[in-house]
Amino acid sequence: MMTKTFTRKKIFVCSIILFVVFILLITRLSYLMIVRSDYYYEKANALHQRERSIKAKRGVIYDRNGVELAGNKPVCSISVIHSQITDEASVVAVLSDVLDIPEDKVREKVEANTIREKIKSNVEKETADIIRDKNLDGVMVDEDYKRYYPYDTLASKVLGFTGSDNQGIVGLEVSYDDILSGKPGSILTLTDANGIEIKNEAEGRIEPIPGNDLYTTIDINIQKYAEQAAQKVYKSKQAKRVSVILMNPQNGEIYAMVNVPEYNLNEPYKLNYKKTTKMTDKEMQDALNMMWRNFCINDTYEPGSTFKTVTAAAALEENVVKVDDTFNCPGFRVVEDRKIRCARTTGHGTETFRQGIMNSCNPVFIDVGARVGVDRMYKNFEKLGLFEKTGIDLPGEANSIMHKKENVGAVELATISFGQSFQITPMQLLRAISAIVNGGKLITPHFAMCSVNNITQEKKMFEFKESPGTIRKETSDTMKELLEAVVAEGGGSKGQVPGYRIGGKTATSEKLPRGNRKYISSFMGFAPANNPQIVGIIMIDEPVGTYYGGTIAAPVMAEIYENILPYLGIEADYSEEKIKETMSGIYIEEGD
Amino acid sequence: MAKRRPIPVRGNRKKKKRITEKPMYFDYQFLFLVLFLVALGLVMVYSTSSYTADLKTGSPYYYLLRQGIFAVIGIGVMLGAALFDYHKWKKLSLVMMVIAIILLGMVIVVGKAVNGSSRWIALGPISFQPSELAKIAIILFTAHMATIKAARIGNIKILIKVALFPMIATALIAVENLSTAIICAAVVFMIVFVTSPKIKQFVLLGIGVVALMGIFLLVASYRMQRIKVWLAPEQYEDGYQTMQALYAIGSGGIFGKGLGQSIQKLGFIPESHNDMIFSVVCEELGLFGAVCVIALFALLIWRCVIIAMSAPDLYGALIVVGVITHVSVQVLVNIAVVTNSIPPTGVPLPFISYGGTALLGLLFEMGLVLSVARRIKIPKEY
Repeated sequence: MMTKTFTRKKIFVCSIILFVVFILLITRLSYLMIVRSDYYYEKANALHQRERSIKAKRGVIYDRNGVELAGNKPVCSISVIHSQITDEASVVAVLSDVLDIPEDKVREKVEANTIREKIKSNVEKETADIIRDKNLDGVMVDEDYKRYYPYDTLASKVLGFTGSDNQGIVGLEVSYDDILSGKPGSILTLTDANGIEIKNEAEGRIEPIPGNDLYTTIDINIQKYAEQAAQKVYKSKQAKRVSVILMNPQNGEIYAMVNVPEYNLNEPYKLNYKKTTKMTDKEMQDALNMMWRNFCINDTYEPGSTFKTVTAAAALEENVVKVDDTFNCPGFRVVEDRKIRCARTTGHGTETFRQGIMNSCNPVFIDVGARVGVDRMYKNFEKLGLFEKTGIDLPGEANSIMHKKENVGAVELATISFGQSFQITPMQLLRAISAIVNGGKLITPHFAMCSVNNITQEKKMFEFKESPGTIRKETSDTMKELLEAVVAEGGGSKGQVPGYRIGGKTATSEKLPRGNRKYISSFMGFAPANNPQIVGIIMIDEPVGTYYGGTIAAPVMAEIYENILPYLGIEADYSEEKIKETMSGIYIEEGD
Repeated sequence: MAKRRPIPVRGNRKKKKRITEKPMYFDYQFLFLVLFLVALGLVMVYSTSSYTADLKTGSPYYYLLRQGIFAVIGIGVMLGAALFDYHKWKKLSLVMMVIAIILLGMVIVVGKAVNGSSRWIALGPISFQPSELAKIAIILFTAHMATIKAARIGNIKILIKVALFPMIATALIAVENLSTAIICAAVVFMIVFVTSPKIKQFVLLGIGVVALMGIFLLVASYRMQRIKVWLAPEQYEDGYQTMQALYAIGSGGIFGKGLGQSIQKLGFIPESHNDMIFSVVCEELGLFGAVCVIALFALLIWRCVIIAMSAPDLYGALIVVGVITHVSVQVLVNIAVVTNSIPPTGVPLPFISYGGTALLGLLFEMGLVLSVARRIKIPKEY
């Protein structure tokens, strides 16, 4: 039976329909493979590529002389790839033995069918080499860098430390993280669906860019010496803590910043004191945060008598007082309804303004403050940067806590005049004092000097804001002379350093709440008094026993200066006779 | 109907086209297309399976060897069938149909579960997929029945008689494997459609089937879920395989990554040497290669159409129609699934996807086509 015509027609028509469908499918394919190609290609690539990042070497932090303060130590991380292990038993045995990890913990990780299981990171190179030499299949030893602080506790609260990903956590490591961290590189590898790297596939490798080195203004010798001195008084006075800042008042370069007790930067998560009770995680974290705190900039305090420097400068600047103006101190001053006492309850009697500063006499400053008035007082505070953060290159700087100007009555003005009823950070005070003694230039205290590119050796200096002309030069000169007198003949006599002209001011501030007999004893001193090259402040928090700043803080600063002034190349400019003369200065118990 | 004669005499047609006693013609072009597709299939099976085969069995050649053995046997079977007079299948197809129905019934009862569905029967060491036998039986049997009843097939009752056994077999297949059942139904449909002089009843039947399918989808909510996955494969976990196929296709671009360079086959596409093999073809050979493969199928089908239209008798033509339908529906559905043009269903790509019985069956069908082609009478004026 022959095929009928309609049968052939039907076959033909059906085949035509079939080919039309084929063309539709080709169109669909073209759409997928041309129009959507990039979209799917990228999605597929993201699925196939595993990125292993290569840590960039973090920049080194140096002191001003090029001594390494924070460097890198080569370490290794050990990991296992389950699918590549051939001899599981010996892998477990070797790893647990060499790395000193319990066998069951290692076995758990070895048996985990994951892409890559990290056994231990930050393994010393020598230890890692032992494992490497065993040549075990499926055990990966990756070179890595770990932040290392060769001086352990030195300037711990300034330098700060880094986290596991090499990122800064606190201190300079945070503020200069961008410069120090560099750019991590990466190895791109293709993997199959189980995450196993495909051999012979071209690896994309992006080299890491090492971070830039940072040269700081810290001088390791000054820092060390200041730390020793602080440590000594911290122990002898059983203080809660001792802070010291040493800075160049001319440009704001900080030579040293000490906060005793310091902590070990190589073990930042270990408390630097013995735990008395078991701590919850939160308590532990709070304790660590407390330990990492830099009290020179993170906390405010009532400055007390050292602040009289600022009041005096404001009064001189506004021409409301002359050095030889006379005041009377009966041992107290009644302001409105309050009776404010002088430190010497019997009173200083009649005294000049100059003597008032030397005696740290509260009534004198109450009178001077009243003469200046709130407006002019605040104007000068502002010029001296007391309403703003100092701009120091450390994270978490605190700002001053001041009365609102409209709320300042006579009583408040009186207390402000001798450094009470408001709070500032030690750094803010030191910055204001620097401006007062350097001829009126408001500087930005800082640690960073320059950064050096590790590849190009290109050096980049850091610039910090300086605003000259905050107070007149004459005011500054007078202040230097008055503050020199405080040390030479007044309440700061224990701050004397044989052969050097030291200017300074003491303070003993009772901590809030009052009446607990907890004090912060401090001393601010600069040298040489006629042309200050260094200014420093020491604060002893909650000393036990004698707590007068002039008695316990000033000698510490004197001791520091005695050693570092020659080191800084500042020559003694007093003859031997003169020394004997200055050493006969009188001591007056000073005001709070 | 001269059943006894090896070569059927023509019916009472006016033209006196004589059919030569001896087969004159061998369609080498068709043979070449088939061999090319089989070879390409082996290359692609090796490309897609070597990595996973190495991981699983320790030998990258595991799947290639198995497929290769079937290809060699299959080519032998094809040549045997080509030389065998296809008219002899008329009687045999009755037996085959009965065996197929019995086996399909057995599979439902005692089938060995492979990949979740029981489609296999284990005969000693050999696993055997009765639906492959059923496909061939359906083609041969339906063609035979349609040829016998060709004159009266316009009658619905006769039509049902013709299609009864094949539809029973199809229904049995549908229990476990809907997509194969659809292919079988399409084969039966096409054979009776081209035999029958009518069109309207088939259009109505088509509409009826589509309506039934719609209801079928709406009733079973898990099938609706499949539709949802189809429309937005990225949003469903079940769309994983589809997405992986699309990643492979899309990342191939115009010229592909090069043979053997697919990444998606490295475990991303599950069993990439099976139903989803076309996506790896796209990834490795690009749009260019994919269109070439489609063109190969188109050529093969076109060649079959020519053979069907110039077949010496209706029986031969209908066999070829059945084979074309089988191959083309499978190609269309497979490519459409891989490109997410229709909801996902598991249909292998003829010749290229891994699968021994399927390849064997296909090559046998190709042998049938060649056998029909051999008896084409080339007009004298040619």
